[in-house]
Amino acid sequence: MMKDKELEQLFLAQRPSFDDKDEFMMRLERKLDAVEYLRQYEEANLRRYKYAMVATFVLGIVVGGVFLAFVLQMPQDVPLIAFNASSGILLFLEQHSRMFATAALSLLLCSGIVSIISNALDIVKMKTFIGASHTN
Amino acid sequence: MTREQFIQLVSDEQEALRGFLLALCCGRKDDADDIAQDALVKAYLASAGYQDKGRFRSWLFKIAHNTFLNHKASQRYFSDIEEARLVAGDSNADANYAHQDLYLALSTLPPKERSAIVLFYLDGHSIKEISQITDTSEDAVKKQLSRGRDKLKTRLKL
Repeated sequence: MMKDKELEQLFLAQRPSFDDKDEFMMRLERKLDAVEYLRQYEEANLRRYKYAMVATFVLGIVVGGVFLAFVLQMPQDVPLIAFNASSGILLFLEQHSRMFATAALSLLLCSGIVSIISNALDIVKMKTFIGASHTN
Repeated sequence: MTREQFIQLVSDEQEALRGFLLALCCGRKDDADDIAQDALVKAYLASAGYQDKGRFRSWLFKIAHNTFLNHKASQRYFSDIEEARLVAGDSNADANYAHQDLYLALSTLPPKERSAIVLFYLDGHSIKEISQITDTSEDAVKKQLSRGRDKLKTRLKL
């Protein structure tokens, strides 16, 4: 599309110049300082939350481990749960309660370990990012 | 992008950005600078997602244009240059008087036509670049340029 020459001349003549560039940049720097402060505050809060999550999952693993040990050391011929059922799914559950309890606790322990690793990696990543942004 | 890199890029583009927004705000320097500051903060927050392809100016202008559209300054426009002159009165004293008619004429254009005209004539962007900055099709940009040009020429009696 061709430019209209008269309009083009008018706009070129109008092109403004600014003699307050330094003040403008200083004003921007102050705003960016505020942004950085808020960003670091939010990240610190998030890190604290992640630490709390890790501590909770560690506690969960310890308690789960204790229960698992309890289940495993119970006599094999004594069911963990007694439904007094004579047939059907309840009898099946009663007869295999030890196995189900072991499987469930193992699954919970694995989930807890994965969550701990995930949160720990997030914390390390946050610390690395903050360290890198300070040195730059 | 680090903060220092961002500041360096902004220093280089500051004049073009402020000139663009000054024209969009029809000579109102305070509005233009407020919008420029808001746009630059938004750009800084989004700079993590910016991939350096040497098109920092287009990326920045796109953010600035969207910031302008969300600002009350974009909602002001007048049906003719005399109405604009009446409302402006002495409040446009900080605008360059010699070019006040151009700013007044721009204030009679709807925001999208104004953006297209300023990007095309003041900043020298191509139709394709304007369509990327304003998020409209190239055909729509051409129509906006055509309509905007005709209105400006009529109002400025060129």
